[in-house]
Amino acid sequence: MDYLPYSTAQVLRKVARRVALGQFLQIWPPWGAGAFLIAGLVALLCRMFFPNAAHLLPFVWAAPLLSVMVTACLTLNRRYSPLEIAAIADALGGGKGTLLAILETKDGSWNGALAALSRVSLPGLSIRRHVWPVFTAAAFLIIALLLPQRVLTMTDNGVAATEIAADLKATVAKLKEEELVTPAEEKKLDEEIERIRKGALQHLDSSSWEAADALREKAVASAVEKHDALKWAQESLARFTVAAQSGDSNVEAQTQELAESIARLQESGLLADLPMELQKMLGSQYAIAGGKVRLPNDPGALRRLTEMLSAHLAQRERRFRDIAGLRREFGRFDPSDYPEFNYERGPDGDGDPGTGGLNRGRGDAPMTWGKETKRFNGFKAVPLPPGSVRSPDDWAPVATLPGAPKASPQLSVPRESLHYGTAPGQEAWRRTLAPRHQTAVKKYFENR
Amino acid sequence: MSSEATSLLGPDRVAAAQAKVARLTGDLKRVILGKESMIEEVVAALLSRGHVLLEGLPGLGKTELVKALSRLLSLDFRRIQFTPDLLPADITGSYILQERAGEKQFIFHPGPVFTNLLLADEINRASPKTQAALLEAMQERHVTTFGETRELPKPFFVLATQNPIELEGTYPLPEAQLDRFTFKVEITGVDRPVLEEILATRIHGEPPPLEPVLDIAELSELFATVDRIHLPRAVGNYIARLVAGSHPNSEEAPGAVRRFVKYGSSPRGAIAIAAAARGMALMHNKPNVGFDDVRRIAGPALSHRLVLDYTAKLEGWNGRRVVAAMLEAVPDVERGLPKTLDAR
Repeated sequence: MDYLPYSTAQVLRKVARRVALGQFLQIWPPWGAGAFLIAGLVALLCRMFFPNAAHLLPFVWAAPLLSVMVTACLTLNRRYSPLEIAAIADALGGGKGTLLAILETKDGSWNGALAALSRVSLPGLSIRRHVWPVFTAAAFLIIALLLPQRVLTMTDNGVAATEIAADLKATVAKLKEEELVTPAEEKKLDEEIERIRKGALQHLDSSSWEAADALREKAVASAVEKHDALKWAQESLARFTVAAQSGDSNVEAQTQELAESIARLQESGLLADLPMELQKMLGSQYAIAGGKVRLPNDPGALRRLTEMLSAHLAQRERRFRDIAGLRREFGRFDPSDYPEFNYERGPDGDGDPGTGGLNRGRGDAPMTWGKETKRFNGFKAVPLPPGSVRSPDDWAPVATLPGAPKASPQLSVPRESLHYGTAPGQEAWRRTLAPRHQTAVKKYFENR
Repeated sequence: MSSEATSLLGPDRVAAAQAKVARLTGDLKRVILGKESMIEEVVAALLSRGHVLLEGLPGLGKTELVKALSRLLSLDFRRIQFTPDLLPADITGSYILQERAGEKQFIFHPGPVFTNLLLADEINRASPKTQAALLEAMQERHVTTFGETRELPKPFFVLATQNPIELEGTYPLPEAQLDRFTFKVEITGVDRPVLEEILATRIHGEPPPLEPVLDIAELSELFATVDRIHLPRAVGNYIARLVAGSHPNSEEAPGAVRRFVKYGSSPRGAIAIAAAARGMALMHNKPNVGFDDVRRIAGPALSHRLVLDYTAKLEGWNGRRVVAAMLEAVPDVERGLPKTLDAR
């Protein structure tokens, strides 16, 4: 555009910038409003239903920024060509067409005619009626962000049921970690936990915790039973070893006992991780499970077997020590659960349960259950005595006020006891007229 | 095409041409007082070599304008007073049996149409057949009689007048013939100051004496200059959109066109606007046509080309008002300002 005067080129640049700005503001409102609305909607949903996503809410401001970028791209894509800008500038300058002619012919001989164009006023922005949806949507987003975060609260039943189930699952997890529960047992325990949880959700009372305690006791009892089986196996192995080394004639019986104890171990799943070598020494799994363990006759091999079995059982024994905490009596206070308190030197420092000061003694004192409160029956239906209607004759006037209406004996008598004349016609009207009107009717007809 | 021109007319040449036109218009304004706008339109039509239909009440200076124009241009001038009994041959000329050198033969006697400037006074009083005799002359600029075609002198202009009242015994011009006129100029009455000036300067209403300001050679040079006036593409696009918008079925048609126009302008209307706008640009000392020239020209160039519905007459709309509505509705620039910007 060297053939254009500097002032005209400057005007064209200004017009181009202003038109680009206007175009941006024309394209942006629907995108911006949409972005703000979507962001506001997301913020609102997070505020109401997804408290865990609340920390991501500042990122919703990315939506309007994205809309600005999209609009910028669209504006760039739909930008006005230089001739279109020139046509607009020419129209703004009065529509003389000289600028267009010079641009098309690249003839600068008429540049002097463009002087008026340098005084052209740029088109003004009138964005209020276009941008208000964006402001409205932005206000919606701000309001959504300013809303307090709704914390989802479960019902009392829900909280308690979740707590019970979590406690039970922790117990099962501990048992599983120590490989003291078989997959079948674990599945069964899970089903029981779920049943207890659902039951607590529907109806929460003491039976829910009792069921949980019972299940926990059952699981731990199973572990204890396995521990007993392990102890038996260890003891029988020890006896067998002694008998085998001393050449006692009771070896057969000890062998039988050992086989049975090993079968018990197999049954309780404690031999699931039995080393292959040891398993070969004892025979097949069926033999082990059937209590028909085949012990080697070779003393060396027998010694090797007893050593390996003893080591294996000792290893299992350590695992049982790890779950010793689970075996405590349920529902009882265990001071070891609260090491931060020294109950031995508490306010009742004598160590005698139940004889302390105001705190009613140590928590591990045995609880005495007294007479339980009976079920509330305060609203039980009680039949009332039969009622009776009082006769109006029982009522007597206390006083007669002046001006009170006087009773007419004639009108007060019962209707059926009235006696009328028997003349023809009289009976008929007497029947149909009220007694107090009869006099008036009679006078009327007598005057006729 | 003009947009393919490599250079614009030089300022000196435009100024010289504009000075000649200014002399012409200046003298016309001395004759016809208070009608500057009408004079500009007529001169613009002449510069575009178009024909003009002057419509107005009697006594407003229609005939006087044409007569003054003929004197100023030093062109051959004829006047035909159209009457109901006027025949086509009275316009075009006819063969007459004559004796020449002892031999009788038909000799062609050219009619009054063989002139440079033809005043067809009260053209709507002649029969359609006679009016049609002008059709070929106006468009083709030649006359065919008995199978022989004769060229009309150059330049050839028809300036017709018609009276919008006293319609009894008249034959309204058909649309085809109206389309031949570049402009239909409506001559309105004059206001009080102009009347006072007329009374002060004219004793018997006679116009001041006039001297020719342009001969045929200068006029031809002016025509050549007008033809070199540049029409920018954006302005051409505006003319095209304007004419396309005069059709009621067009997407660009404004509401008034959809309601009141039965048939829009022909392409000849667009050509007439472009040509007359060139003349108007020269009158304003410009080397190119601008949007302002088109807006100035659109009314007289399009109003008589629109066939209006009967509802238009019932609601008081005429061609000029519809064109004004079109100018209001159709933006100058096709891709105008974004909606968020307001031109101050």
